[in-house]
Amino acid sequence: MSNPSRRGVLRLSAGTALLGTLALAGCGRGDTATATAKATAESVDDKPATGTVNVWAAQGDADVLAKVIKPFKAANPDVTVKFTLIPNSEYYTKLQAAIAAGKGPDVAQFFPESQAQFLDPSILRPVPDGLVDSGVFFKSLWDAGLVKDVAYTVPWYAYTYALVYRADLARKAGVKPPTTWAQMVPFFKALEGAGAVRGLGADNGWDIFNGQDVAMYAWQAGGSLLSTDGSWTLDTPAVVDALKYNASFFTSGSADTATPTFLDAQPYFVSGRTATMITGPWVLGQLDTAAKETGWTAAHVATAPLPAGASGSVSFSAGGTWGVLADSGNTDASWKFVRYVSKPSTQVAQYSAYGSLPAVISAWDDPAVKKQPLLDAFLTQLKNTKAFPQVGSWQQVATRLGKEVETVAKGTQTAEKAAASIQAYAKSLGTGAE
Amino acid sequence: MTTTLVPAARRRARNSRRTAVAWLFLAPFAVVFLLYTAIPTVAALGFSLTDLRGSDLRHPLAVDFTGLDNYLRLFQDPTFLRDILNTAVFVAVGVPLTMAIGFGLALALNSGIRRLRGVFRTVFFAPVVTNVVAVALIWQYAFNAGGTVNKALAAVGLAGPNWLDDPQLAMPVVILLGVWRNFGTAMVLFLAGLQAVPEDVYEAAALDGAGRWRQLRHITLPLLLPTTLMVSVLLTVFYLQVFDEPYLLTDGGPLGSTESVSLYTYHQFGSGQLGMSSAASFVMLLLVLLVSAVQFRLLRPRT
Repeated sequence: MSNPSRRGVLRLSAGTALLGTLALAGCGRGDTATATAKATAESVDDKPATGTVNVWAAQGDADVLAKVIKPFKAANPDVTVKFTLIPNSEYYTKLQAAIAAGKGPDVAQFFPESQAQFLDPSILRPVPDGLVDSGVFFKSLWDAGLVKDVAYTVPWYAYTYALVYRADLARKAGVKPPTTWAQMVPFFKALEGAGAVRGLGADNGWDIFNGQDVAMYAWQAGGSLLSTDGSWTLDTPAVVDALKYNASFFTSGSADTATPTFLDAQPYFVSGRTATMITGPWVLGQLDTAAKETGWTAAHVATAPLPAGASGSVSFSAGGTWGVLADSGNTDASWKFVRYVSKPSTQVAQYSAYGSLPAVISAWDDPAVKKQPLLDAFLTQLKNTKAFPQVGSWQQVATRLGKEVETVAKGTQTAEKAAASIQAYAKSLGTGAE
Repeated sequence: MTTTLVPAARRRARNSRRTAVAWLFLAPFAVVFLLYTAIPTVAALGFSLTDLRGSDLRHPLAVDFTGLDNYLRLFQDPTFLRDILNTAVFVAVGVPLTMAIGFGLALALNSGIRRLRGVFRTVFFAPVVTNVVAVALIWQYAFNAGGTVNKALAAVGLAGPNWLDDPQLAMPVVILLGVWRNFGTAMVLFLAGLQAVPEDVYEAAALDGAGRWRQLRHITLPLLLPTTLMVSVLLTVFYLQVFDEPYLLTDGGPLGSTESVSLYTYHQFGSGQLGMSSAASFVMLLLVLLVSAVQFRLLRPRT
């Protein structure tokens, strides 16, 4: 029964045992809020970086980083950048444990959709004044790193969801992509009529990603996840509508609750077992491989912005960001690394190497990105995005929401009850700011 | 007087030297035990009485002492109660099934096929030492909607279900993986127990006219009672803490039907609820202690 994560839990418990015992003495949460050091900004010069920079990132977009930053290493011969890539699902758990144990890296990657819990001067250093120009990034990505006007992260890549569908089947069925919620299931049915087994290949982890989907639908329905005074509003009619809308894909038979699994998603799409995906832009770069045919994607696939609900076609902003840890022993080189990866040319190189879409808006004008017509829908969508709630408990709430989504999709609970349940859970959790 | 005092002093000195040596040998284990078992257990108990969250790890002194709140919340949480029930099913089905298969194979290896015992023992023990992550991936593919199991069923004209997406079917598959991984351990322990039963007892019984069944009932089973106790306690503790199988195959789904208490604890930790996670792990520790104590009492050999 050996399991690395559980071993981690034990080590963490051991490491904090004494502190935990002391905690029982009754210090209150409010005490340390005032005790945390006030964020102070530093400045970073243009001299070559030196020393070692330890970088932690999640597997995926960062797989190609060592290649992408070769010019940085050439220009800074005295710097060593060491990458540690961690599986996505374990990333935050391991990072959180490492930070708690004081064994974190110099630079860590974060996800703007779920990074709020790390935006604290005891964990991350404020972004130095003048390191980057905040105005060059998609606004919601930059804003995701702000707490009380202090920026803690720098955007790296951006993504959002759009419709990726089989253009050949749509042509055969004589249908255009749906622009409203009401057109969604009929569109799926038309594609099924043109030969697809299922109109939609749903992503069924029943996890945080499903929670995020429903949050996005709630925005489209005109809802918001937090009230203006910062408390959770998840049992609203908009959230109920969002849950019902998502469930309609399954109850109509256009999506299967059982398949495809994550690894099957692209082969299923290529073979026509599914005909639409609500997904990110990285998929486009992988379909030729799944089809084992260069040019397959260009000939068979089209993209479209997400269909609009009562309040329009809103999606979420997501991607990757970088932060320098408060405990870093080499902040100067760390910030120089972050500055380099946020340059438009580096972001274009990253796009060419992995398909990560630039977080810097001007990089989208580079021919490498611009000549890709399938990305147009994503750019349109990125201009109409919202950031998930920037509160510490959003990740937990979204994960729980993903589980509630399963119950509604499978018909074991009504959307109203699921919304009440997620609201009760979120309320008991608070926003993490208390 | 002096003649008796000197040896006593020497004896005391020798004893204290022995004690010191004993402590010296014990020290490495004691240190590891303290660091990785005792302190974490005490810490978990401490954390379970607070509202510790993931975001508090940088300043754990900031947490609030909440007494038994976490425990009350646990037992009011339908998810936790469901997971206790799931864990009970793991134990109630997994333990007897694993023991029955292990015992049956041990009996077969001990009697009929002695010459090939080594080969079969290795074959049946292989799942115990196989990497569970790799095995779980294979099982996942085998039991997928389009997996090998359903392909085999289709070959004989049967439509296979979506094993891992059906709340009724996912649990048996997860238990089956647990049984498959553990019956080898039970078999090896039973085999060792069977080989320790003196042959002449069976010969005497045979002379008295006892058949195979009576020998099994009146000699083998009673003499194997200590082994049975050990195997059942080991397996019960394993199934009470079952984690790898549901985590890797289903992550507790579908609809939470395979989520065990260990997995609940892990999910709570993963979502930053460290106080709740500690409380759940402490409840599990108490559960293991309680069930093991009952087993020892019920199955202890009566002399």
